[in-house]
This record gives sequence, C-alpha cells and structure tokens, in this order.
Amino acid sequence: MWPGDSVLGRNVGKLPTGPTPGMASEGGAVLSVDQVSKSYGTTRALSDVRFSVGPGEIVGLLGPNGAGKSTAMKLIVGLLRPDAGEIRLRGRNVVTDGVEAKRTVGYVPESPALYEFLTAAEYLDFISDLYGVDPATRGSRISEFLRGLELSGHEDSLISAYSQGMKQKVALIAALLHHPRLLVLDEPLNALDPRAARVVKDLLRDLASRDGVGVLFSTHVLEIAEAICDRVVILSHGRIVAQGTIAELRRQAGLAGSGLEAIFLALTGTGDLTDVVGALRR
Amino acid sequence: MNLHRVRRLAWVLVASQIRASGRGAHPKKATNQPAVYGWAALVLAGVAFAVAAVSVRGTGGSGSVLPSVVKAALPFLPLVGVGTVLVAGLMFELTTTAKFASSDAANWLPLRPQEYVLASAIAVAYTYSAPLALVLGAIAGVAVDVGLGGAAAVAAALSVLGLLQGALWVEMVRAVGQRAGGGSARRGRISVLLRALAFVVLVVVLELAFNPVVLLDSLSALQAFGHLTELLPPFWGSYAVLVLLQGNAVAAGLFAAGTIGFSLLLLYSANLLRQHFWSVAAPEYHFGPYRYGDPHPALRALGLSIPERALVAKDLHGFGRRREMMPMLLLPVVLLIVIFLEGSIGGGGIEGVGLMIYAGWAATFAGLLIATTSLGQERRSLWHLYAAPISAREIFRAKIVAALIPAGSVSAAVALFVGFLFRAGALDALGLGLAAAAASFAVSAWGLGFAARYSDYQERPRPQPMRPGAMLVAVVVGSAVALSILVPATLGLVDGGAVAAIGLVAAIAFTVAFGATGWLWARAGFVRLMREIPF
Ligand SMILES: Nc1ncnc2c1ncn2[C@@H]1O[C@H](COP(=O)(O)OP(=O)(O)OP(=O)(O)O)[C@@H](O)[C@H]1O
Ligand SMILES: [Mg+2]
Repeated sequence: MWPGDSVLGRNVGKLPTGPTPGMASEGGAVLSVDQVSKSYGTTRALSDVRFSVGPGEIVGLLGPNGAGKSTAMKLIVGLLRPDAGEIRLRGRNVVTDGVEAKRTVGYVPESPALYEFLTAAEYLDFISDLYGVDPATRGSRISEFLRGLELSGHEDSLISAYSQGMKQKVALIAALLHHPRLLVLDEPLNALDPRAARVVKDLLRDLASRDGVGVLFSTHVLEIAEAICDRVVILSHGRIVAQGTIAELRRQAGLAGSGLEAIFLALTGTGDLTDVVGALRR
Repeated sequence: MNLHRVRRLAWVLVASQIRASGRGAHPKKATNQPAVYGWAALVLAGVAFAVAAVSVRGTGGSGSVLPSVVKAALPFLPLVGVGTVLVAGLMFELTTTAKFASSDAANWLPLRPQEYVLASAIAVAYTYSAPLALVLGAIAGVAVDVGLGGAAAVAAALSVLGLLQGALWVEMVRAVGQRAGGGSARRGRISVLLRALAFVVLVVVLELAFNPVVLLDSLSALQAFGHLTELLPPFWGSYAVLVLLQGNAVAAGLFAAGTIGFSLLLLYSANLLRQHFWSVAAPEYHFGPYRYGDPHPALRALGLSIPERALVAKDLHGFGRRREMMPMLLLPVVLLIVIFLEGSIGGGGIEGVGLMIYAGWAATFAGLLIATTSLGQERRSLWHLYAAPISAREIFRAKIVAALIPAGSVSAAVALFVGFLFRAGALDALGLGLAAAAASFAVSAWGLGFAARYSDYQERPRPQPMRPGAMLVAVVVGSAVALSILVPATLGLVDGGAVAAIGLVAAIAFTVAFGATGWLWARAGFVRLMREIPF
C-alpha cells in the first residue's frame, strides 16, 4: 500500500517525479500549435486552431463529442500531419524534426491499444528502450509507479488479462517513464477508480508545479477540469470557441458566478437542453 | 432452440468478420454484406457447372468413360465438404483472437449455448463454402450430361451437411483449446510449445486425412476392406451416395438418415464440450519475475540500436505468445512434413530435385508470411511506432530483422530436414540451406514492401493482417522471387560441373537484383507509411 497515505495530501509522496535533465533550457512554450487545420477526406476535423502550453501549465482541452480533441492530440504527438499550420514542441517542429520532438512528449491515447501479448513489466521495459530510459535505474522507477497505482503483483501477467482501468494505468506509467516535458493525455482518468484518479490528479499537479512539466489533457468531466486546470481550451466543430482561465471564460460568456458546465453549454451552443430531455423522457 | 435467433446470430458472426471495427467499413456496400460468400459460392458453382457441361458436350458426351468417372467422384463430395471446412477452419478459425473467441455477446445475450454453437458452426461452414461449390458445380455439370443428375443432387445435399459436420469438429477443437489456453497453463513457455506441437500434429493429420491424393488411396482401400468402414459415421454420407449409385435406394436412405443423426450427435457433443470448457475471462498467464533494463544483448551483435532491438524482441515474443502468429512459423514445417509423409506413404510425393526446390520454397514461405504480416499484426497498437522517438529507418530495420531471424531459423531447419530426407551429403544440405536463406532475404524485403502498402490494421475476429487480394499477389510475387533463386541454385547443386557454376552465378545475381529492388521498394513504402497513421 501507499506509505503514510500521503496521496490524500497535496504531496504525491513516493511517486517518482524528480528533477529532469535539460529543464533549465526552458524559454518559451513547451507546446505551440499555430493555425493548424486537418481534414479526414471531406470531414473537416480542425480549422485554424491556435493555442499553446507553457512550462508548468495544465491546460484542459474541452469540447463536445467529435469536436476534434483527439485529432488535435494526434497531430501534436505526430500520429497525423497537419494539412496547414505548424506544431512545435519546445521549439522543434513535429513534422520536420519528429524524432527529437517526440523524445520530450508522453502520450496516452483514448482507449489505448497496448501490446497485450506482453506482460506489464515487459511492456514498460520495451517503452523504456524506445525512449532511452536509463537501464540502470528504470527498474526501481517502474516498480515505484506500479506500487503507486496499485499494480504491484500484476506486473508479470499478460496485459490481455488486465481490466480496462489497469490497462489505462499501464498506459499512464508508460507516458511518464522518460521524464517528459509535455504530457498529452486523452481522457486519462477514464475507467480509473476514485483513488487512482486522485493519485493521477495530484501527480499531474505535482509534475507541473515542481518540475515544470506542461500538461494538455482532455476530459468530459468538467469538475476535474475546473479543479486542476490553469487554463482551458474549448473546441467545437473543429474550431476554438474560447480559451483562457475559468474566470476569463466566465467573463467572455457573460455568466458571472457560474460554473464551468454553464459556460461550456453556453459556448458550445448546447445550452437549451429542455427539449432533448423532454423527448428522451417520453 | 430458436432457429430464428440462430440465423440472426450466424449473420452477425459473419458480418463481424467482414466489417471491421474501423470507420472505413461501409455497412451498405455489397462486399460488406454477409451475403457475398453465398453469392460467390453460387457464381463459382454456376460457372463451374457451365464450363463442365459445355466441355463435356464438346468431347462427345456419354458412351465414354465419363459415367464411371462421375460415379467414382460423387461419393467423395460429402468428404470434400468436411475436409475443406476442417482444414480451413483449423488453419484460420482456431487462431481467432482471444478477445473474440470468448464471444462476449454470447455471454450476456439471452442465448442458449447450443444456439451459439450451431450459429458459430453455420457461420464457419458458410464462410468456407466456396471451394465445395466449385467442385460441386463442376461434377454436377458432367453428371447431368450423363444422366446422373439425381445422384448429384443427393451428393450435393450430403456434402453441405458435410460442411456443417466439419464446422462442428472445429467447434469442438475450439472449445477444448479454450481450456488448454486457460487457467491450467501456469507455465507459459511449456504451454506455448505444447500448443505449437498440437497444432502441427492436428494440421498434418487432417491435411493427410482429407488430402485428395491420400483420400483416393484410402477410399480404394476402404472398398478393399469391404464393410469395415461402413461402421464409421463420418463416412456415412459417402456411403449413401455410393450405394445409391449401385441402385440400392433403401440403404442410401438409411445412410443418409444416419448422417443426419450423426450431425445432430456432433452438435450435441460440441455443445457439451463448449459448456464444459467455457471460460469467460481471457486466460491469465503468469510469468516469472522480470529483470528490467537488459537490452537484448544477443541482438546487439547484429549492430542494432537499443530501440531497434526492443522492437525486434517484441515481435519475436509475439510469435510465441500470440495464437494467430503460430501458423506463420509452423505452416512451412507442416508443408514439409506433409510432403515427406505423402512421399513415404506412396501417395505420389515429389522426388529428387523437385523435392529440394519444394523444400526451399516452403522454407522461404515463413519469411514471406512473417514479412507480409509484420505491420498488420501491430493492429491498433501501431500508434506506438508513431508516438515513439524512432525514425522510419529504424522501424524498417527492426522489422526486416524480426522477419529474417525466424525465416533464417526455418531455412536452417529445412537444410537439416532435407539432409536427413536424402541422407544426402552435408554439402547439399548446406547449399540448400544457404540458397533458402538468400531467397528468404529477398522474399522478406518484397513482403515488407507489400506490408507497408496493403496492411489491414482492423481488429477482426479472425486476424487478417493484409487485404486478401494483396496477400494473394504477395504470395505469387514472393514465390516467383524465391523460385528464381532456388531453381538455379538447386540445379547447380545437383548437377555439379559447369551447371553448378552457372547456377551459382544466376542464383547470386537474382538474389542481389531482387533483394535490392525489394529493399528499395519496401523502404519507400515505409517512409510513406510513417508520415501518418493509416487509421
Ligand atoms: N480516422 C478518422 N477517419 C475519419 N474521420 C475521423 C477519424 N478520426 C476522427 N474523425 C472525425 O473527426 C472529427 C473529430 O474527431 P475526434 O476524435 O478528434 O473528436 P473528439 O473531440 O476526440 O471526440 P470525443 O469527445 O468523442 O472523443 C469527428 O467528426 C470524427 O468523426
Ligand atoms: Mg476523443
């Protein structure tokens, strides 16, 4: 178990964060997305999207289903190429300088497909090899993560036998092993139990404030966004409809004193729900 | 048992294979309808029927040997039905992904086990109905012409029943296999080996049992033995046709009824086995404690970087661990054993140079299969290759090594096998091994070129790592490349003298030429593929 249950405090205790080589060189944004557009065939998924994530900043990417959140993230981590615009990770262009740019990113896709014929230990070792994690220290680092997320004792079982939440945890660990400077997390708290969700939230805050890691994450749970994000970016139909701190958005939406949910519904044009609910009740 | 439910479920099972989970599948498209298999079978049967009927008319029709040929062929049809489904089913159905094999839907839908078993068997039988349709059409085309249309119709009906019987056998093996992969297997490696062994034995036995050449032999043996085999229910379908042709309608009726009864018994047993061995959860293997940070020193000798080594090791792991990868490695072994056994049984095997070339080709088949499937087998996990800080070049190198290591091992095995077979000199065996290794190299490069362009990354119940049409072309191209190297090499080995020199030069020239072009083609494909994830 968790020594001293420090997880309930602000401090994430034993989860390895620690200083990272190369952090001092930080000047500008960890991530800058500049006028990026992307289409799938005739479907326009993103139009002229522009935002950035600074070091130590937690940015929430919000928007209705199909708004383009996952597409934006795939572009950022190099799974897709932008049709127009430019994406830079710590100044490196993802398209032209992909390998170097990707070294500094940790990514958890939505419903991640892992190599299920490997055990979690083998998988995490494999990921460490790909990202060049120091072979001498990775064992203890991996073990600490496994303990922190309560996977100890399961690491020598095939991932195919894992529950969905356990797979999600493995994917999260894999994204953190190499001390990334930017975390791109697509609905990372999906399927996690309350305790693990709490651990991850605390860990994200800790990584951001202590190590200056930039975090971009998407979620549909607005309470989570409200609780841990420094800023939010709201997408709708592939366009950014608003971005800023929650206070700024409140002003923008003209909804003083209201929560993120009201702001979200107002900004994404899904405000009037009485008709829908009425229809569903019938 | 609710037959309507069975039909709906069978439809869904077929559809789930042809429509993958991806966004690309258009459910309205004709080729995405389960009916395509039916239409394909009908068209094949019709074409075969027409061709046969027309060509028979051209040769003068009755009065010739044709009636006796038809009479000899018709009793086989029910066995052809069983045989095609068994062989295809064991090759492809047993490898269904664990996720689908436990058939989630069947666990929570209000279905009875026997309904599920029957629906699954129907789906399998239906999927593999085309070869039977082809044979059926051709024989019926002749039979009608010589006045044996009635018997042909009976044989057709019984052979469709045979399809179902074959599918039920597959269901039984599948049910038992479920347990074999389940809780009892604590020692991962041993169970993997046992599974591989069982696979080879099973496929070899069935290949032999239902191989037309051997079948002919054994059927004439059957008749020689007289009434002994009449007691064996799997043959009752054939006997029904046989006695019908002899004019004994009553006995034919009895045998036919027996066949129906036997099919029901198979259904009952398959159902029992399924219930007994049912395991809802995926098997949980547990492996020994793991040592981190040991970047595969054995692979270091090949000059690979650490990420490259990790990729290679991951793929090699997959061969042992993934059910659907097993046939890739074992198929060449099966091909060899079958031809060897057939040769020694005297069913008309290949001899001498032919056998050596065949053996070499079978050896390169491993490289071809592994290379063509090396990207498709990543399926949805492919994103790792894009998100990780590795270049297209590194991925390409890793993939080619991951294909060549197992392909090389198979080549070595072939050399040994052929040496043993001929009690030949070590030099011949070594030469063939080298030629096979060289051919494997060229073939793997071409295979990777196909993989980079035509892989299929969808999750399907039955893995399909490459689009079927492309796979067919890849096999043809790969075999042509392999033979262009193997034929001169083998001729040179056998003949000696001047021929040896010419053969050697030709083999080397073709290896270099095809290896280089394949390599370049594959590399270009990888660079393009790695621009953007294809799903
Ligand atoms: N591979 C693809 N092929 C075709 N269209 C796609 C593909 N991926 C996404 N789309 C389309 O692009 C748009 C944006 O999809 P995306 O997955 O980015 O949305 P999202 O904001 O992540 O939604 P969700 O909240 O449901 O995860 C949608 O209209 C979707 O249908
Ligand atoms: Mg999404």
